[in-house]
Amino acid sequence: MARARAEQQPTATGTTLVVLVGLSVAFLLFMAFLNVVKSGNLLNESNLLYAALIFYAGAGALYLGFGVTGTPSYVRFASLATWVGLVANTGAVAHRWYEAGHPPFASIYEMLLSFVWTLAVLTLIAEKRFNVKVIGTVTMPVAIVGVVLMQLLRTDVHPLVPALQSTWLHVHVTLAMLAYAACALSFALAMMFLIQDGMKTETFLAATSLFGIATYAGVLTRFEKWGGLSLAAWDPKEKSEIFIAKGMRLFVVIPDLGWLMVLVLVAVGAPFALYLISRRNHDERLINIANNAVFVGILLQVLALAFFLLRARDGQYGSLDAEGFYATSLTASPFILSGLVGGIFVSLLYLLLLWRRQDLQRMLPNADELDRITYKTIAIAFPLLTLMIAAGAYWANRTWGSYWSWDPKETWAAITWLVYAGYLHMRITRGWRGRRAAYFAILGFGVVMFTFFGVTYLLPGMHAYA
Amino acid sequence: MAGTIHSASRKLWQTLSAIKTGVILLILVVIISAAGTVILQRPVTDADDMQRAYSPQMLRVLDALGLTDVFHAWWFLLLMTLVSLSIIAASIQRFPNAWRYFARPYKSPDETFRKALPTQAQIPIENEEAGLMAAERAFRRMRLGPERIVGENRFSLFGERNRISELAVYIVHASLLLIFLGGIVDGLWGWRGYVALTRGQQSGQVEAQNGTKHQLPFLIRCDGAGQENYADGSPKKWWSQLTVLEDGRDVLHKEIVVNEPLVYRGVRFYQASYGPTGKLDELVLAASLTSGTGEAKQIALTFDEPAQLDADTSVRMAEFIPDYVVRDGQVYTRSAQVENPAVHLIVESRKTGKTFNFWLPAIPGVEQNAASPYQFEAKDLKTGYFTGLEVSHEPGQWAVWTGVVLMGLGLGVVFYLVHMRFWIVPVHNARGQLVLWLGGTANKNREVFEERFQRLVEEIQVELKIKPEPCAPTHAASLAGV
Repeated sequence: MARARAEQQPTATGTTLVVLVGLSVAFLLFMAFLNVVKSGNLLNESNLLYAALIFYAGAGALYLGFGVTGTPSYVRFASLATWVGLVANTGAVAHRWYEAGHPPFASIYEMLLSFVWTLAVLTLIAEKRFNVKVIGTVTMPVAIVGVVLMQLLRTDVHPLVPALQSTWLHVHVTLAMLAYAACALSFALAMMFLIQDGMKTETFLAATSLFGIATYAGVLTRFEKWGGLSLAAWDPKEKSEIFIAKGMRLFVVIPDLGWLMVLVLVAVGAPFALYLISRRNHDERLINIANNAVFVGILLQVLALAFFLLRARDGQYGSLDAEGFYATSLTASPFILSGLVGGIFVSLLYLLLLWRRQDLQRMLPNADELDRITYKTIAIAFPLLTLMIAAGAYWANRTWGSYWSWDPKETWAAITWLVYAGYLHMRITRGWRGRRAAYFAILGFGVVMFTFFGVTYLLPGMHAYA
Repeated sequence: MAGTIHSASRKLWQTLSAIKTGVILLILVVIISAAGTVILQRPVTDADDMQRAYSPQMLRVLDALGLTDVFHAWWFLLLMTLVSLSIIAASIQRFPNAWRYFARPYKSPDETFRKALPTQAQIPIENEEAGLMAAERAFRRMRLGPERIVGENRFSLFGERNRISELAVYIVHASLLLIFLGGIVDGLWGWRGYVALTRGQQSGQVEAQNGTKHQLPFLIRCDGAGQENYADGSPKKWWSQLTVLEDGRDVLHKEIVVNEPLVYRGVRFYQASYGPTGKLDELVLAASLTSGTGEAKQIALTFDEPAQLDADTSVRMAEFIPDYVVRDGQVYTRSAQVENPAVHLIVESRKTGKTFNFWLPAIPGVEQNAASPYQFEAKDLKTGYFTGLEVSHEPGQWAVWTGVVLMGLGLGVVFYLVHMRFWIVPVHNARGQLVLWLGGTANKNREVFEERFQRLVEEIQVELKIKPEPCAPTHAASLAGV
């Protein structure tokens, strides 16, 4: 059966993608090289990171290509690209470590650096050890978003403030990175389980649309009167946000960008509305329209991203809170940017699923196997989470004089722990398998992401380093 | 009557021990904790900031509900107590079963059990004793600690590993309760406070977080404190030299830094802050007679000690204003930073009984500099620095750390130690052939177990010096568990 399907594959696509990806990687490297020759310094952190980005992007494209065509050679090249990217990434980590004199855990930028590294390592492990070949289709885009974010967040090496001068910093953060990367892996596996378990493509459509709605609704909390979008102002000289009072940032308003975001919200929300109507009317045609709407949604999202990039990068904008004009920067709005990029990736992944579901299913391990591996990754993540919290508590006890202060970061780490504890209890005592367990794993990763990023930027607290 | 009470309490017990209750309680904890991170909390947030963030009515409602200090509200404590009770009840209810499993292992499998066991194999042997001996050697090599079981008319063999795995869940639950216990003990008997010391100052009193004073059974003295900076000016290190005094004697010296507290009699001192007191430590002045004759004299002034200028004239320091401004003929300070300092000296002449207010610098309207018999010039100004120490007493923390270690171990066992059991019984199979019947189970991680089982079969065959036969293990996949 499988062979019959394989024979139906068009043969022409075999090497095309590898060649294309290879050529573009070579081109980018060449361009980068020209740049380097000018600056004269080959092996610095930003070049290494750039190389990592190129190879991860190549790997991502090849994994996607594997997802689409099922050509086994793509995976070989993809893992090769991941390996090379990982080497560059390792170099960047080492360089940063050497430069700063401490392991790269001290700021959100350094944490991302370590996180992406761990993710790449785990991807290769999952591929080689557990034979989950398409895992890169999900993890590589995450890594790419991570590296792009790093380009924006790049900070100078800061010496460690006194509170961070502790061995416990390294213990705590290493455990956190490992735990979070394992959670990310379990999320990817749970998604694959849902695909393999025969969850309807429409349901994925609805989820994609909901993700888009959440993203753009989040962006639109910054909507201002007359269609502007307010972004944090940025002082290019100081390389920092501008504060008008303690803890109060200055916002500038980019005119008209708000309307564009509203338009995109409507476009990405339309498939969900159509999905709901089709469920009520049992009308399959609406789903087809919704799928086309996803395509339109992607185009609009790319447009919104392009406008956002162009307008936020330079130009001076007025503010509602202060006189005069101020600049903003992509660096000042990392969440909006990653939201926009993430939205596009999610939609693209949906299209992949829509067009190539059967091939995907053929290549993934079977549902039971995925279910079991998801459980195994969580069985690794949970003790790591526990130890991470314990190390953090012990360290806090030495620094702040209290092992638990109900700081938002602490509280959210505990919430993450509870969610995964809930998963394990439901699985072990109630025998939850399959779908419900997969939903739980997805929820758990959502909470992890909020703990990692959301708390740092949205909630006030002592855990201000990252 | 008694019956209804009995049934009511049983019902309560059942509700408490149900996993559903546990999950509902956990969901409540999650929701409330999340709310506690979104709503600004006292006393971490200043009262001013609270008022700025919420309208007065809103703030009143939040305060009344305890939502501005969620994690110390009585209902949160109640919830945590309920969670603990639910964990205890659930553990107690499930424990006897697991204990039976642990304490009285099932060693000689009967016919029905043997038939139903999903993983089993048969190895042909020539005689019972030789077969069992070979199996025993194989068991030993696989570290299964074989045990001979005497049956009705024959011997059988039982071996297992990691039996503790059956109880690990209870270790984890117990450790969680231990952590809660530590938290409760700290909540009831622990305290946290703050003390600020300048160089040479000693104190036995700590200001607790709720504003009350807490008396220590000893004194703490600061022998010095300081800050070191990186080249870029950001702080690298804060340190304080501390001495503990008991009955007037020094009993302990230690230099503390941010990650290195001093611990004495269960009271821990942490470096929390460091900064200028805005007070003057010592002022070096050059004093010369207004009449203009004679040498200028160097004097060092502190707040406590007036300085004698000549036989009947003395000067003392009345005020030090670190950052002065003059408004309506009054001198105020803008901040505690030594930005724009002013000193108020009082020159006292015993002969005339007159006092003069001498200001440095001269502030018109308040100074009487010209009238003073001496003129002063500031030479050096040493401001005081204080070191801020967080003080805490957490008698329950050892329970917490024990709980944490126990939990780490427990989780390791829960997830990674597989309880495997193997049985061997010599039987005659359906064809009348004498075989070793070999069966096994594991409580999790089937793949590893099956690999082990396969190896055990091979080991026994090697011991029996039989070439492996292709038909050896049979496996009823339909009955496989995890």
